[in-house]
Amino acid sequence: MKDYIVIGSGIIGALITRTLSKYQVSVLVIDKENDISSHQTIANSAIIHSGHDPKPGSLKARLCVEGNAMYDTLEHELAIPLLRTGAYVVAHNNFEEQMLQELHQRAKQNGVLGTYFLSGDEARKVEPRLSETITKVLSLPSTKVTFPWEVSIHAISNAIKNGAEFKRNAHVISIKKVEDHFVLHLKDGTTLESKHVINAAGVMSDLIARMIEENPEFEIKPRKGEYFVLDRKAVGLFNHVIYPLPTKAGKGVLIVPQTHGNILLGPTSYEISDREDESTSREGMKYIKEHLKALSNQIPFDMIIRNFAGVRATSTYEDFYIQESKTYKGFYHVAGIDSPGLTAAPAIAKYLVEEVIRIDLPMKPDFDPIHQPIPLFHTLCDVQKQIEIQKHPKHGHLVCKCEKVTEQDIINAIHSPTGNDTIKGIKKRARAGAGLCQGGYCESEVLKIIARETKVKPNEVNYYAKNTPILVKETKTK
Amino acid sequence: MKTDLTIVGGGAAGLAAALSAIDPQLNILIIEREPRLGGILNQCIHNGFGLHMFQEELTGPEYANRFIEALKDKHIDILLGTTVIDIQKKTDFEITLTSEANGYQHLTSKAVIIASGCYERTRGAVQIPGERPKGIMPAGSAQRYLNMEGYLVGKRVFILGSGDIGLIMARRMTLEGAQVLGVAELMPYSNGLTRNIVQCLNDFDIPLYLSHTVTDIKGKDILEQITIQQVDDKFEPIPGTEKVFEVDTLLLSIGLIPDVGLFDSLQMKKSPITKSAIVDQTLMTNVEGLFVCGNALHVHDLVDWVSKEGEKAGKTAKAYLLEQKHEEKDLKSIAPGSNIRYVVPHLIDYNHLTEPIQCAFRVTKKMAQGQFKVVQNGEVILLKKAKHIAPAEMENLIIKPEDLKSKDPIEIHLEEIV
Repeated sequence: MKDYIVIGSGIIGALITRTLSKYQVSVLVIDKENDISSHQTIANSAIIHSGHDPKPGSLKARLCVEGNAMYDTLEHELAIPLLRTGAYVVAHNNFEEQMLQELHQRAKQNGVLGTYFLSGDEARKVEPRLSETITKVLSLPSTKVTFPWEVSIHAISNAIKNGAEFKRNAHVISIKKVEDHFVLHLKDGTTLESKHVINAAGVMSDLIARMIEENPEFEIKPRKGEYFVLDRKAVGLFNHVIYPLPTKAGKGVLIVPQTHGNILLGPTSYEISDREDESTSREGMKYIKEHLKALSNQIPFDMIIRNFAGVRATSTYEDFYIQESKTYKGFYHVAGIDSPGLTAAPAIAKYLVEEVIRIDLPMKPDFDPIHQPIPLFHTLCDVQKQIEIQKHPKHGHLVCKCEKVTEQDIINAIHSPTGNDTIKGIKKRARAGAGLCQGGYCESEVLKIIARETKVKPNEVNYYAKNTPILVKETKTK
Repeated sequence: MKTDLTIVGGGAAGLAAALSAIDPQLNILIIEREPRLGGILNQCIHNGFGLHMFQEELTGPEYANRFIEALKDKHIDILLGTTVIDIQKKTDFEITLTSEANGYQHLTSKAVIIASGCYERTRGAVQIPGERPKGIMPAGSAQRYLNMEGYLVGKRVFILGSGDIGLIMARRMTLEGAQVLGVAELMPYSNGLTRNIVQCLNDFDIPLYLSHTVTDIKGKDILEQITIQQVDDKFEPIPGTEKVFEVDTLLLSIGLIPDVGLFDSLQMKKSPITKSAIVDQTLMTNVEGLFVCGNALHVHDLVDWVSKEGEKAGKTAKAYLLEQKHEEKDLKSIAPGSNIRYVVPHLIDYNHLTEPIQCAFRVTKKMAQGQFKVVQNGEVILLKKAKHIAPAEMENLIIKPEDLKSKDPIEIHLEEIV
C-alpha cells in the first residue's frame, strides 16, 4: 500500500513525484509505456516561456511565471541544461505592432519582468537572419529553453534517491475505491494500492478520470503539433526563441534554439480525434515552411534531420485543471496541461502539493534536493576526460560520432537507477542516434552493448516499447 | 606520435591510397574505426566487385582482402578500433585519436588523406510523413545486421529508393526467406546499376515502382503498413494512385552522403552538391597537405573507381611529401555545364599539371546517346560520345595537359544526340 501513486511519468508526474518525495510519505510513479516520459514531454518546443501569452488572472498565467523562475533552482538541483535565450515576438505592420503593444501589457499584467521593444533593424543586428519585413519586436529576456525529458528523468532519479519508486509498463485499465484506498488494476492482471492517487496522465487524463467519476469537468481535445529538427551544426543561426504573434490556436510556428545545438522549427496546431496519433503529414510540413517565412527567409531546410509530432493534452476546461476529484477525496486530477505546461511544471507540482492536497506532514529531515548525473563524456573538459578515460577505458570507444557518445556513456545510461534498455531509451539519455545519421552507423553497436549489459540475446533488445525487437529472426542457428 | 602521412579510414579508398603512397622515405599510418580493415566491403558479401581492378568478380571481403594482403610486410602502421575525433592544421596536422585500448592519443602528421567513406541518407532528411514505429531503417543497416550479426530485421519488406544497397538487400533478404513486396523510386529512372535491377529485382519478380514515393507510414510501436503514391513531374503525389502494403520493414536506399562530419575544425571548403571537399586534380583541398578520396569525396557507383581514386590520392600525397619546396597554386575551376550535376575535381591547379586529369562526374538526365564536351574560352577542346547515360552511373573523362589551350577555367557539358 502506497501513500501516493502518480499516474504518468511525463514532466508533470515526474516533478509531482519529486515534490512528494520531500515529505514522509511513500510515493510510486507509474507509466503505461516502457520508459519515463514517452509522449508530450518528448515532443514539444522545449521552451520555458516568460508568461506573455496566458490570460491574466488564470492559473496558466500565475504558474507559468512562477515556473519560469523555479527552473533556475532546478538547473542547480537537478543539473538540467538551461539555455538563457530570451525571446523575440515579431510584428510586421501597424496592425501587428498594435497587437504587440497589447501583448506587452498582458506580459506586464502577468508579472513578466524586463520586457522591452526593439525596431526591426535593431533586432536584425542581434538576429541577422530575421525577415526584412519585420518592423518591431517585443523582447522577452526571461524566456529560456531546456531539455524536457532530461528534467523528467533527473526529477525521478532525485525522487528515487529520496525514497520514491518508478514502475514502467504499468497500464491502468480500471480503478476501484475500496474502504480508505484506491485499487488500480493494470493491463498485465496485477493490482496496485494507494491511499491517494494523482492523475497526471496527459492526453489520457480524462480516460483515467472517467474510471472513477461519471462526468469529469474536463475532456481532452487533443491537439497535434508537428516539428522539424535541424542538425546541431545549425547552432548559432538563431540565438533567441522567435515567436510570431500568438493566436487562439497557440503561439504559432516558432524558431527555437535547442540545448544541444539543434534548432527546432514548428509546431502546427490542429485538433485531432485520435489522441495517440503522433504521425507527421505532408500538409503539416508544408504549413511549417510556409509560416516560417514571416520570421525568416534564411532557414537552411537542407539541414533537417528529423520531423516528429506530439499531441498536446488540451482540454475543454480552458485553464489548467488541478483539482481534487468531486467524487472521491484523495484522488487528484492534474489535467489539461497544454502550453505553457512545461514552463509551469515545477510550479504545478508545488501548487498541487501545497495548495490543493495541502499536505500536512513533516518534510524528510534527510531530503536531498541534489541530483548529480554522470555527465556525458564529450561535455567534460580535457583534464576531466583524461581522468575519466583512465577509470573507464570504454570512454575511448566512440560509438556515435554525430553526437560524440562513448560506449561508457551508453553503459551509464543503461545502468542508472532510471536507466533504460531500449534503443530509443538510450537515445533519450545518451543521444546515441540523435544526430545527422540518425543511428545509421551506431544503432547496431548500441544494440550489442544493451544485449551484453542486460544479459539478453540481441534479438531480445527492443526498439522502444515492449515486444519491439529490431532483429526478428536469427539466420545462422546451429 | 609523429608520422608523415595519415590515412583516415581503412576501407577501399584508404587501403588503395596507402599502397600507392609507399616510399622508403615516408612513414604511413592507417587509422580504422572498426576492429578490422576493409570498411563497408566487409558487409558486402555479394559478388561483382573488381571487374575493372582485377578483371574478376569478387565478393566485398575478397576484394578488400586483395589490398589487405598486399599491405602485409609493407612499411605501414595500422591502428584498428581507433577513431579520429579532431584534426587541426597548424604547421603540421595535429590529430586527436581515441580508442578503448589507448584512450586519447595525439598525433602529428605532415599530410592527411581523408578516406572515411559515406553514410546513408535518412528518413528525416527526406521528410517521409507518418508514424515512427520500429521497422524503418537504412538498407545498409539491415545489411550489417544480416551479414555481420546474422539476423533478419523483418519478414515482409518494402524498399524505398532504388539505390544499389536497396537492390542488393531486396535479393539478399529474399534469399534469407523474407518477402520483398516492392521497390519505389521517386525518379522516373532507377538510381541503381542496371545489372542490379536485372539480377536483384527482375530475377526475383520484385516490382519496381518508378515515379513513386512513400506518402504514409502506419504503426504505433511496430510498422504495420505503408502507402506509396505516384508522383507528378514536380514530385507531388498524385491523388488516387495510392497503393497500400502490409509490411513490417521499410528499408531506405535513398542516397549516400560523404561522411566528413568529424573534420569541421579543418575549415575545408565544401561543395554544396557533393557535401564534401572542393579539390584540385591532385585531390588536395584548400587546406595544404589535406587530400580527400573515395566516397568521402563523392559517392561512386563502383568500388573499383573508389580504389582508383584512392590510388591517385596516395600518389599525389606522396609527391607532395617528397617535394622539396611547395610551389604556389594556379587554381581555375572545372565547372559543371549543361546536364552535368557535378564534376570532381572541381579545380585545376595549372602549376602542378603534369599528368592527365581524371574527371569523374554525374549527369542530371537519362540519355540513350549523348556527347560530353569540354569547353575552354567558348571553344570545344575535347569531345567524347557515350551511350546509355544515366544519373545513377558515374561518368569519366580524361583531359590531357596538351588538350588545354590556355590556363583558363573549363566547363564540361552534356549534349543529347537524338
